[in-house]
Amino acid sequence: MRAIVIEDDIDIQQQIVARLKSEGFAVDSADNGDEGLYLAQEFPADVAIVDLGLPRLSGLEVIKRIRGQGNQVPILILTARGRWQDKVEGLDAGADDYLVKPFHHEEMMARIRVLIRRASGWSDSRIQCAPVTLDTATQRTYVDERELELTAFEYKVLEYLMLHAGEVISKSVLTEHLYDDESDNDSNVIEVFIRRLRQKLDPGETLKPIETLRGRGYRFTLKRAEQH
Amino acid sequence: MKSIKSRLTLVSMVVLVVFMVLTAVALERAVVKRALEAEEDGLQLLIYSLLAAVDRDADGHSLRVSSERLFEPDLVTRNSGLYALLYDRDRGVIWRSESITIDFPPPDGIALGEWEFDTLEHQATPYFRLGFALQWPDVNNKLRRYHVVVWRNAVDYFEQLNRFRQTLWAWLIVTTLLLVLVMYLVTRWSLRPLQMIGLEVQAIEDHRQSGFEREYPSEIAPLTENLNILLKREQYQRQRYRNAMDDLAHSLKTPLAVLTGIGDQARLDAAQIETLRAQTERMNQIVSYQLQKAGNLSDISISKPVDLVLIIEKLLSALEKVYQEKAIRVQRNLPDSMALRMDEGDCLEVVGNLLDNAFKYGRQRIFVSAEMNADRRTLKLTIEDDGVGLEQRQIEQILNRGTRLDEATEGQGIGLAVVADIVDSYNIELSFSRAQAGGLKVSLTFQIV
Repeated sequence: MRAIVIEDDIDIQQQIVARLKSEGFAVDSADNGDEGLYLAQEFPADVAIVDLGLPRLSGLEVIKRIRGQGNQVPILILTARGRWQDKVEGLDAGADDYLVKPFHHEEMMARIRVLIRRASGWSDSRIQCAPVTLDTATQRTYVDERELELTAFEYKVLEYLMLHAGEVISKSVLTEHLYDDESDNDSNVIEVFIRRLRQKLDPGETLKPIETLRGRGYRFTLKRAEQH
Repeated sequence: MKSIKSRLTLVSMVVLVVFMVLTAVALERAVVKRALEAEEDGLQLLIYSLLAAVDRDADGHSLRVSSERLFEPDLVTRNSGLYALLYDRDRGVIWRSESITIDFPPPDGIALGEWEFDTLEHQATPYFRLGFALQWPDVNNKLRRYHVVVWRNAVDYFEQLNRFRQTLWAWLIVTTLLLVLVMYLVTRWSLRPLQMIGLEVQAIEDHRQSGFEREYPSEIAPLTENLNILLKREQYQRQRYRNAMDDLAHSLKTPLAVLTGIGDQARLDAAQIETLRAQTERMNQIVSYQLQKAGNLSDISISKPVDLVLIIEKLLSALEKVYQEKAIRVQRNLPDSMALRMDEGDCLEVVGNLLDNAFKYGRQRIFVSAEMNADRRTLKLTIEDDGVGLEQRQIEQILNRGTRLDEATEGQGIGLAVVADIVDSYNIELSFSRAQAGGLKVSLTFQIV
């Protein structure tokens, strides 16, 4: 998952970035509205965390411009003021949720996970494409009742594919959303991880959960379970 | 009568009508008096000319009138309307003018040397009559008493008088109407600056302008100039205060956020983490509560009336987005609009906190209703949820600042305490009870200004 953090207080920004990275996110960060807007325009992200009180371009204006460009990235706003007027303005401008400072990082992560899931059409923290289940809260993976041992990167790949189950995901999209730094990306590595995931998810090769579409990318083929 | 314009118009109309009626009556009387005097003078001249034609008769014991010396042709033209008679002491007719075709009654006693003028009706015809009593020496130089009486038909006079009256009143009515119209226009024009002030106050209330912008007459200009200074000062102070609060919130909460982050990341044992969290949370609650409290304006002096229904809809739209996952169904019983005199920020704070709690603690359904009381002086807003509800002890506890009942649920725990502070400053009645669905029912009763 790729996140954009736009926060002018460097200490808070670094804490958020560190927490997101520790959760396996690729993170781009900016300490002002102008740069933040540029990041949102240039790098497709799965979530944006925007502080309302930003220098150069206010957080509210950043959100309006992101939405004005038709970008539907889920946006979590951070506000020190906490007045309903500010919250309503932020949500009206296009944000999806708000967090009043100070906040606990668990709470922030819970909100971010909800926003990402919601954007992909999942409402529960357990996303299920039978027989595979991914618990986004605990980052555990099961096939039927059997828990799989996945590395952090394998989990990131599987989570992204399952969140977009049924969709064709190109290697470049996967790379953009999973790698922190573009210089590291190597499509061969993606192929390696896909192969490993197939082995772990479907050792008997009966499920065939990840389909390769030559020249187009990958598709998670197992059907989404109905959610309430 | 509430408007100054109506008052001025009514008073000026009454004064004008009374003035015009009095003027008309005085004018008519003056004209009639002058006309009667002219008639009397004319008849006097006639009597003088008649006396000039009087001479003793042939035997010298009585008088006669010489027709040759009469220069008034109407006296010799039959039925001309001008008649003269000469009576002796016993009111026997000595001479009558040739114009007479009917009988005239003899005069009553007239004092010697006196003129007696009157208007009377004889045989259904109005006449002016002037009588004069005189003494004339006979042949023996003995003074004998005579009466001369002249009659003039007054039909023409009264017709003229009626025409004069009609013309007078017609002109007076037209003049009065014109003057009333002019007075109304003058009043309107004179009161226009006050009307403009009213419109500008409305524009200031609606936040379409920040002060009085028009030029006003010298009598009113000092008032609007001073009001402008007052408004600017008030807006400046309000903005400065809000900015200071925002800066303070930012300055206090950013380090708290950093501390909270450090607490979340630090490699401390469970007890240390709990202590750090508890202390930062406590600091945050105090700071948040005091900032929220200080930020409540409770100022309705020059505030725009807010539409409660619009605010509710705004908040519901925001909260339905935030609590999308809970898929809460909101049942509304709201009119199209409902105006309240309250600062918009304060109104958002009160209703926002209550709706947020309903979404937070409700399970599937919340009910929002707003209705005007029958006396149209109060309106009641009710928010109900189908959560677990609260006991009376918990309600009292939650209204104390910073108390947080459900540690598992996100929130700063100051929402209801802030609500209680704001409603208190606006004299809004706040009450809690059990909702039909089992959850909490919060009722707010607003006074309509």
